[in-house]
Amino acid sequence: MKEQGQQGQERLAGREQPARREPWITPYLRMYSGRFALYLILGVMTLLAASMLMFTSGFLISKSATMPYNVLLVYVPIVGVRAFGIGRAVIHYVERLVGHDAVLRILSKMRVRLYRILEPQALFIRSRYRTGDILGALADDIEQLQNVYIRTVFPSLIALVLYAAAVIALGFFDWTFALLIALYILILVAVLPYISLILTRKMDTEVKRERNGLYQKLTDAVMGIGDWVISGRSADFLHEYEQDEAAVMHKERKLRAWARWRGLIGQLVVGLAVVSMIYWSGGQAAAGQIDYTLIAAFVLVVFPLADAFLPVSEAVQRLPEYRESLNRLERISGGGDGSGEGRAEGRRPAGSTGRKGRRSEDLGGVSVSPEAIAGAASSAHLKLEQVRFAYVAGDSNSVDGVTLDIPQGKRVAVIGRSGAGKSTLLKLIQGAIAPAAGAITINGMPPADFGDDGIPRIISVLNQSPHLFDTTVANNIRLGRPDAEMEEIARAAELAQLGGLLAGLPQGLDTPMRETGQRFSGGERQRVALARVLLQNTPVLILDEPTVGLDPRTERELLSTIFQSTTGKTLVWVTHHLVGAEEMDEIIFMEHGRILMRGTHAELMDREPRYRNLYHLDCPGD
Amino acid sequence: MGKGLMKYKGIKPVMIMMAGLTLIQTIAIILQAKWLAEVISALFAGAKLQEQTGGIGLFLLAFMVRQGCGLLMQKTAYRFAEQTGQSLRKQVLSKLFELGPRFAGQEGTGNLVTLVLEGVTKFRNYLELFLPRMLATGITPVLVWLYVFTLNKTSAVILLVTMPILIIFMILIGLAARKQTERQLQTYRTLSNHFVDSLRGLETLKFLGRSKGHIDSIERVSDSYRSATMRTLRVAFLSSFALDFFTMLSVASVAVSLGLPLVQGRIELLPALTVLILAPEYFLPVRMVGADFHATLDGKEAGEAMESIIGAAEEEAAKVAPVPAGADLRWTPQSTMVLRGVGLTHEAKRGPDENAGDVAGKAEEAGAATADNAAMAGDLAAVPQPDGVRGSNEIEEEVKEADIVEEAAQAGNADYAIEAGVRPSLDGVDLEIRGMGRIGVIGESGAGKSTLIDVLGGFLRPTAGSIELNGTVLGDLSPVGWREQITYIPQKPYIFSGSLADNIAFNKPGASPAEVKAAAEAAGLGTLIASLPGGLDEPIGGGGRPLSGGQEQRVALARALLSERPVILLDEPTAHLDIETEYELKETMLPLFEGKLVILATHRLHWMRDMDRIIVMEQGRVAETGSHEELMARQGTYYQLAALQREGLR
Repeated sequence: MKEQGQQGQERLAGREQPARREPWITPYLRMYSGRFALYLILGVMTLLAASMLMFTSGFLISKSATMPYNVLLVYVPIVGVRAFGIGRAVIHYVERLVGHDAVLRILSKMRVRLYRILEPQALFIRSRYRTGDILGALADDIEQLQNVYIRTVFPSLIALVLYAAAVIALGFFDWTFALLIALYILILVAVLPYISLILTRKMDTEVKRERNGLYQKLTDAVMGIGDWVISGRSADFLHEYEQDEAAVMHKERKLRAWARWRGLIGQLVVGLAVVSMIYWSGGQAAAGQIDYTLIAAFVLVVFPLADAFLPVSEAVQRLPEYRESLNRLERISGGGDGSGEGRAEGRRPAGSTGRKGRRSEDLGGVSVSPEAIAGAASSAHLKLEQVRFAYVAGDSNSVDGVTLDIPQGKRVAVIGRSGAGKSTLLKLIQGAIAPAAGAITINGMPPADFGDDGIPRIISVLNQSPHLFDTTVANNIRLGRPDAEMEEIARAAELAQLGGLLAGLPQGLDTPMRETGQRFSGGERQRVALARVLLQNTPVLILDEPTVGLDPRTERELLSTIFQSTTGKTLVWVTHHLVGAEEMDEIIFMEHGRILMRGTHAELMDREPRYRNLYHLDCPGD
Repeated sequence: MGKGLMKYKGIKPVMIMMAGLTLIQTIAIILQAKWLAEVISALFAGAKLQEQTGGIGLFLLAFMVRQGCGLLMQKTAYRFAEQTGQSLRKQVLSKLFELGPRFAGQEGTGNLVTLVLEGVTKFRNYLELFLPRMLATGITPVLVWLYVFTLNKTSAVILLVTMPILIIFMILIGLAARKQTERQLQTYRTLSNHFVDSLRGLETLKFLGRSKGHIDSIERVSDSYRSATMRTLRVAFLSSFALDFFTMLSVASVAVSLGLPLVQGRIELLPALTVLILAPEYFLPVRMVGADFHATLDGKEAGEAMESIIGAAEEEAAKVAPVPAGADLRWTPQSTMVLRGVGLTHEAKRGPDENAGDVAGKAEEAGAATADNAAMAGDLAAVPQPDGVRGSNEIEEEVKEADIVEEAAQAGNADYAIEAGVRPSLDGVDLEIRGMGRIGVIGESGAGKSTLIDVLGGFLRPTAGSIELNGTVLGDLSPVGWREQITYIPQKPYIFSGSLADNIAFNKPGASPAEVKAAAEAAGLGTLIASLPGGLDEPIGGGGRPLSGGQEQRVALARALLSERPVILLDEPTAHLDIETEYELKETMLPLFEGKLVILATHRLHWMRDMDRIIVMEQGRVAETGSHEELMARQGTYYQLAALQREGLR
């Protein structure tokens, strides 16, 4: 596994690690064994019907050529020919429907399974796979797995069943000849696929990897197209890129050439089988073992039967294609508490996700009484005392001796550059990770004790890019509290000052958001998310850089809405700018996990020249 | 389909060769059937096996000639498809680089990359499949039928009648399936995106305490998706069912129709057997066309999408006036640039709604979402797959639309912009820039700051007005002579996969290590380099060490310094950074701007005090220009912007 990441998600696939692997293909074969059996039977019957059509036809006209006195003698084969002809079409139609239905059922189960695996690590996914769309890739992987069944497993199984059936049927006539035919088919269903797999596996993988490389290279270049144009080096890039393409093309050409030759070899085997069949049936007929009318039947049946065996090589050769998807899924499911990978990423606390995973399995992790949760849900006192935390034991602390006292209703701004420990601080407050030293409490109890279901009743989060789901505005807001009445949703929207926007939309709150809310501007999206958080109505609200990417006017307007609509709530506001800092009760400056300076806006303006300089960037006084 | 095929280079000899091969192949098919029937009927008549060796040999020979022809045809088609695909890709890529970042931004990087990589594969697949299929359909059934006709008229009639019925049914059912899909398209899309939407929103769901309850929802939606898909598949599969049904029925009818005259002794076994063997061969080419239909359609559309990019670029190129010989495009302290009435109107950004007209194309292409899926295509023909790949068709549509807008603008229809609901990004901009100095461009979002920078960088061609550079009147600033004068630092600079040094030396690949080091130091990368194990040789960019936003800006800055180009264009270099990083970066940048022409567009007002001149943009126009003090005294647009930012929140 040497894939150099196409996207960041490859980080996962690109690392050898001892984590146990969970199978993704076989359990479902077992789970749906009934449907699969049906599908298999239908698949075999389809091919049998096609074969029998030719067999009966050959027999029919041979029999007719003997000019029987009674036409009724050929009546049975006439009916047979028609029945097999129509039957093959009908059975094939049903077969495909049954197959797709089974696979779609599996897909549904796989989706739920993947979701269950990812759910406990929800808060860490973003930081663990920093770049790339790992989630999109995993979803695609599952889609990809449907091909395993439809294009590889099923055709191979059907071929095997038919193989056995053909050899046994022939065995009734002549065991030695049956063995010869068995040998021919063996070449088609085993020898050729095996050789093919051996020959192409390496190059297939290489082609795939190199194509990923091309993908990355081109994405890179198109993103930086302005730089290429200005540097005047576009031609250099194009030349280099075409060379890479040519290298891939060369390999692909070889693969294709082999595929063509493989096809030819397969056909040669079929041709030889036909010839053998002619000799055998002719000999048998001459010896009086079989009727002369069966010669045509036996010879003609070879062609449709071969259709079942020829595609096996291709089906088997696809195996490496699924490997990458399977690897990714197997690792993600097996590595649920494998800390090696977390360590490698340097972001994930050793073992902490595993602990979390267990907690969400058995709800016994909630060690706080429902009354205490209800109490904290109306008023929460946050306390941090000398909190320390390091993602990797022995490394420098991400949060290093932070002490904070945040009674209900206090508003705190946290500022610092990336890597100063702000995100870690937020995760500690949410109980997603536990401090290595010191204590964090909500109303005197550690946040983790409130459990996965308790924390969202106490703390809500508005971050840089809250996800808006592909449904209506109202449904997106309703997620804050599913049992909310329409009026409450409308009120939350009003509080988030969405009123004007919604009034301008013909469908108002029932306007669809579209995928990730593309219909709305950045500021508008944040307001919808704000309405959702307001409906969630928790005593504590974490604001994690909610205004990054907004222009100054929108930034100010959004902040002013947030501050107005959250009176009485505790705010922990991580910010990259200082606009609105004067609204805060305390401002904390973090650097290397420590608090560098703290105080109110007025105090800091007065005391700290550094703070003054920074503040003037946002609010240039004159 | 396929009319446009003839324009591809070298197609004629390929076609002739393949037509010849198809002809040989068809003859081999007929002979193979004939000789096989002869052997069988001879054996049936009681002839000795030994006497049949010749016949069997001939059969095997015909059989192998047939397969050999098939192989040669595949090979020829593959080579042709490979070459054509390659040349198309080369063209598209070079045109893409001509069209520049604005076009790439409009179309979306992901879409373009997918189009170039997967689109070319699809297109190749199309050529590879289409050529042999077209020839086989045109030649084989006709010859086979003629031969059957000479043997047995009844069978020939049956075959002749079945073919049109089969084709009509296939088309009718295909259309019905498509209609059904279109009706449910929105539902499909929502359902199929639901899972990926849920995964991406997992963090948000967790914050909301809804992540566990959502499992039920996934299960439910997956199930509805399955039933919706199956509903469509029931119709979609009917198409290939019709194909199967009529073929099989026809073969069966032929067999039965041969049986009766045989019983009555009106015909011999030999011709009857030959006809029976040939009947499936008669239908084979059409069946293969049916099986590959979606893959070919898909590839064809991809090809057209790429052609339209090439077309767009050529149209653009045609509009660029040649640079007069001897024009001096270099920027020196004595240089001047005058913009007169520069305006720019481009299509309004299309919302997802407006894609509705595209539905049919989407449904088509969704069937065979990726080249890998080609074989599945027949199966899931009408079902959109949740692959997130935007329709190649859509690009085509957009490009076409862009053409219309351009044409109308060219026609000088002054009111067009209003009629079409697009507003100009730049509107009658008059500007004069002399020598070196720092120029700030400020304004609210959508005021035209970035568009102005793009025009100055030569990425966008103004649709109105003229630009005079050192006395030479130019239509736009895309000439290479000007591009060599500028460096461009966008909000998110391009860090490509390579070493830090390579990235810095991007505009000047021949720079010495010492020069690179000096530029890096000047841009404030010294501490970073010292902390990296590989120093300047540390790999960065995709697959390498990730850099923070501030570090990326510094790399871009070092790149600009090293290239020693006199003009630096900056588009919102610091807005997304945290305030400390912004402060430090500004401190680094300001001294480096000395002695250059710097044009910096931002909505961060603090930069303006350090600018020699400020251009205030408002709704695509230059509202006012002057120094900070002048503009403050004037109490105009700039003053109001400043007033807004001066106070805290209200």
